[in-house]
Amino acid sequence: MTPEAVEFVRISRDAWGQEVLEGISWDLLPVAFAIGALVIIGHAIYRLINKSRRT
Amino acid sequence: MSAIVADRIERHAAVDRVFHWVTAASVLALLATGLLPVVGLKFPWVLVHWVSGIVLTLAVLVHLLRSLSWGKLCSIWIRWRDLRGARAGKYTLAQKLMHHALSLTVLITIATGLPMLARIDSPFWERDPYLFAAGTWGVIYVLHGLASLLTLTLAMIHIYFSLLPEKRTYLRAMWNGWITRAELPAEHDPDRWPGPQR
Repeated sequence: MTPEAVEFVRISRDAWGQEVLEGISWDLLPVAFAIGALVIIGHAIYRLINKSRRT
Repeated sequence: MSAIVADRIERHAAVDRVFHWVTAASVLALLATGLLPVVGLKFPWVLVHWVSGIVLTLAVLVHLLRSLSWGKLCSIWIRWRDLRGARAGKYTLAQKLMHHALSLTVLITIATGLPMLARIDSPFWERDPYLFAAGTWGVIYVLHGLASLLTLTLAMIHIYFSLLPEKRTYLRAMWNGWITRAELPAEHDPDRWPGPQR
């Protein structure tokens, strides 16, 4: 069993069978959210550690 | 009380504060109407999305025109001394970086969002989905989506930092326009901002 790769773009086929670029893959939405959350959590932990060192 | 009032430094003019909050509201509306349907929350989002996009475009145009003065450009420009860790002028390095990153992503969403208006019907124009070739539309949609996701990440980080207790004076200044000299965080150099002319 292989893990599913994250797609970067959505591609469909038109009436003639040609590939058409549809837009960005929405698999990237949770990635964008996770990056934001990671920065926030990372900084919050850094603040907590710094604060406890100072006290 | 009068001493406190005399000690106030104007950080943001009223027009800039209005710009900030109009931009914030329209960006949040655009992110919500653009991304919530993707995660399965179905609602009639198109009207709110394109109207918010027009509001954002107008706000950014006004801001761009107002920013085209040497003093304003200098206050937000990243200089070598910012990178070498010198004390900040009006804006800290982190604030400048956030401004530039959000400017870039918002400008890309606007530049790609405006042609997308041709794909919807409105009281002001008729839809024309054949304005561009399919491949060109694909590139426009990819850039719009990518810039939107980056805007989401940046907005999350921006809101988080603005709510931190040590940054709250900046948030208050963005609401009521002023900051006192006593509240001015230590990372600001009083010789660079508010400057000897004030």
